[in-house]
Amino acid sequence: MFRPRTNLTDPVNFSFEGRRLTASRGDTIAAALLGSGVFIFRESAVSGIPRGPFCMIGNCYECFVQVGAMGVVQACLTEITEGMQISKVSNSIDESEMGIKEISKR
Amino acid sequence: MTKKYFDVAVIGGGLLGSSFAYGFGQAGLSVALIDEGDNAIRTARGNFGLVWVQGKGEGMREYARWSRKSADDWANFSDQLTDLTGHDLGYHQSGGFNISLDETELQQYLRMLEALKADAGEEGYEYELVQGRTLAQYLPGIGENVAGATYCPHDGHVNPLHLLRALQEGFSKHGGCYLPLSSIDQIQPLQSSGFELLSKGRQVASCERLVIAAGHGSVGLGQQVSIRIPIYPEQGQIIVTERSAEQLAYPTNMIRQTDEGTFMLGASARDVGFNSETTTDTLQDIVRRCASAFPHLRSLRIQRNWAALRIMTPDGFPVYSQSEEFPGAFAFSCHSGVTLAAVHAQDVCRWVVDGTIPTDYRCFGPERFDVSTTN
Amino acid sequence: MTTQLPLCDVAVIGAGPAGLTAACELAEGGRDVVVLDEQAAPGGQIYKGVEKVFADRPQDIRFLGGEYAGGERLMHRFRQSGAKYRPGVSVWQITSDQEPELGLGLIENGSAQMLYPKHVILATGAMERPTPFEGWTLPGVMTVGAAQSLLKSSRLLPEDDVVLAGTGPLLYLYAAQLASFGIRPQAILDTRPSMSLRAVLLGVSALAACPKSMLKGMKWLWSVRVKMNMVRGVHSLKAQGEDHLRSVSYEVRGYRHKLSTSLLLVHDGVVPNTWLSMSAGIRHHFDSAQSCWVPDIHGAGSTSRKCISIIGDGARIGGASVAAMQGERVACEVDTYLRTQHCSTVATQSRALRRQRRLRRFLDCAFSPTADFQLPADETIVCRCEEVTAREIRQVAARGCMGPNQGKAFTRCGMGPCMGRKCALTVSQVMANAHGVPVDQIGHYRIRSPIRPITVGQFADMALVPGQDKKAS
Repeated sequence: MFRPRTNLTDPVNFSFEGRRLTASRGDTIAAALLGSGVFIFRESAVSGIPRGPFCMIGNCYECFVQVGAMGVVQACLTEITEGMQISKVSNSIDESEMGIKEISKR
Repeated sequence: MTKKYFDVAVIGGGLLGSSFAYGFGQAGLSVALIDEGDNAIRTARGNFGLVWVQGKGEGMREYARWSRKSADDWANFSDQLTDLTGHDLGYHQSGGFNISLDETELQQYLRMLEALKADAGEEGYEYELVQGRTLAQYLPGIGENVAGATYCPHDGHVNPLHLLRALQEGFSKHGGCYLPLSSIDQIQPLQSSGFELLSKGRQVASCERLVIAAGHGSVGLGQQVSIRIPIYPEQGQIIVTERSAEQLAYPTNMIRQTDEGTFMLGASARDVGFNSETTTDTLQDIVRRCASAFPHLRSLRIQRNWAALRIMTPDGFPVYSQSEEFPGAFAFSCHSGVTLAAVHAQDVCRWVVDGTIPTDYRCFGPERFDVSTTN
Repeated sequence: MTTQLPLCDVAVIGAGPAGLTAACELAEGGRDVVVLDEQAAPGGQIYKGVEKVFADRPQDIRFLGGEYAGGERLMHRFRQSGAKYRPGVSVWQITSDQEPELGLGLIENGSAQMLYPKHVILATGAMERPTPFEGWTLPGVMTVGAAQSLLKSSRLLPEDDVVLAGTGPLLYLYAAQLASFGIRPQAILDTRPSMSLRAVLLGVSALAACPKSMLKGMKWLWSVRVKMNMVRGVHSLKAQGEDHLRSVSYEVRGYRHKLSTSLLLVHDGVVPNTWLSMSAGIRHHFDSAQSCWVPDIHGAGSTSRKCISIIGDGARIGGASVAAMQGERVACEVDTYLRTQHCSTVATQSRALRRQRRLRRFLDCAFSPTADFQLPADETIVCRCEEVTAREIRQVAARGCMGPNQGKAFTRCGMGPCMGRKCALTVSQVMANAHGVPVDQIGHYRIRSPIRPITVGQFADMALVPGQDKKAS
């Protein structure tokens, strides 16, 4: 994919899916991930196939990631900051919430 | 080329017209479904998708009964369509909740349901008040401040877009003839019987029986066959969110989850004429109500805002008319094209085949607006 | 309500050459101007990160080219102009003309707010034309524009196995930039057919009109052709791989070839980004010379809504110099509007603008869109978000569906988060082809707000009048 960058000026530490990674201050989240060799950002909500960033200018919405308390953001438009915890957007249905009892029919 | 003379022609390719066209095809008639182009004012695209019984029919018992009959027929109707076309309509008769945010709203709504129940007499009118922790079991995540909700087992929901597509495909499978880009502006009654339909002077089709279901376009068309259609547009705004892993098991009056996982938030009612632009304050009212009802849905991203023009009648009930002067011409207008789809495709189609609206259903005629009632 | 609203004279949306020039002109003339930018720093796509590159890695300037370096002067002027700059702001709606006030819905720092300017200038620039082909949704397939953006803002350079595919000036520029950084892509799969006589004639005219730009372009193309492995006459591109890109295959003169790679960069020219202008209810039409939708413009930037102007590539693809000239000219129009509430369009066309138009006519003809991408094969996914194929679009069209809006209702094509940005053009073209009518007759998706993500909570908490909290209890 992209060449790993050596001697980053002003490095920023962050994590993706628990992996500790480093980027350059001012990078977008997408650039930080691509620069660290991560290019599968999420799974499609329709078919589950993997997806990664495509247009990098906020138009394709392929690069959605989950960022701690910020929620779901477009990685190509959001700047990386120190200590950011990034993960894939969850598409799976929480089974525990499915246990809704049937209301009695009278 | 294409056949030009049909047993029935339906003007209007929306939910209402498509239900009729499908029904006629099912009955073995030769049918033309005449539609406009891509930018037709299409209420189905802005439909909330409820197959709904509760709260309907205040002031007209026949409408309550009619809605209930359609809801009862819906499962069969849906299965039949799916068998024919292979499309899952996303129909579920799960029962539905009418959520009241505060006590005043709740009491007002309960009074209405009680009146409906009294009106129904021994036919019965089923609903149940659910509050507090019990409500939270059915609707996990419901806001603590919600006053309560009423549950009605006959309510359900469907994907209106899948419904429209399946109706049109089903209609084609029955050999129906779809004629898009044909905006009918002239109805010419033929000498013996039947009608000729023209668009800007071009002959589009001729037919023995004619059904006008052209939404707001029906008014002008009805006049040509001496049918008065007292309808006006009411704008409804709807918000659709992204697909979500959150689950909402039951449809409600203000929010429901589609079979694709998106949430629909609605619905507003504004009288603004033929204007389909959304407005910030109306949308925000919808969003605020839903956010108080389900605070955990606050993090959902909004996918699009939508405004559609509903068909409104002076009393809110359907208007079913037939032309006395030109037998064989009918016009049907209503805003509950989803709920009533089952009876439209079956019962109403039969009326047209028989050539007349049965006396039991004359209460839906436009004549009801002629008499000024005094108590 | 009007008197209480916090108003500014002009809100400019977008901070590329068009938006910044207009903002400078108006602010220097004493107008109260705010520039709203989705990016973190001014420059748009063309001058992306230019201030940072000058500050942090000036050694890269010469590799990125003289035109890029020129952006620094504009940034300097802008910073001195007195215009307010608000980075990281997305505009999710422009109120319709049915609402009492012209208002912009913004998202800034995670919260929503309204801004009420007297006039809006849209300078939202271009986006890359959709390039649907089999496998284009695989991670590892990106656009050339995306890669160039990563180079400018973060100095990310591809590995040598990178493959470039498609056509358009940006593709050759990026290849030339890679060459200057010492990177030699594995292959450049050029989909451009050989040049027609008409293109040659227009080329001669363009050379006379804009010799500097033409020579510069020829130099890129020449250096790419000489130094790199450029394959001509490529079609039927396919990207392959299970979870991400592993290989690319293509056909040349009836033979299929295959290359192993983890990065494929595609490009097929650029089109105006009209999502904001369409959602604002402004009239648009299909421009057949550029094969894309453009807003109806009269004068420098006046539209069918007199309180909104559009300039730059968002109005019609014209490039950076034209964008800057439009920015200058629109300032007069907007100033008149603010004084009189009437439109007065700037009619005179400068010689420089006319020369640029000759250059553009040549570029539009020589780099016309790739046929394969315009009418993709049946199994190709057209709508990336909802994974709808070209076959499904053709099927609903065959059943009588006359346009993209009914098609959207039936197939969900265009209903996903990108709101059709990556499929609208394709769907309209496929339907037009299926029905044998011009694209104009088929129409475009109706675009509605929000055109940028906003959550239920953000919308619920927003104060309609800034400063007044009307939060529901």
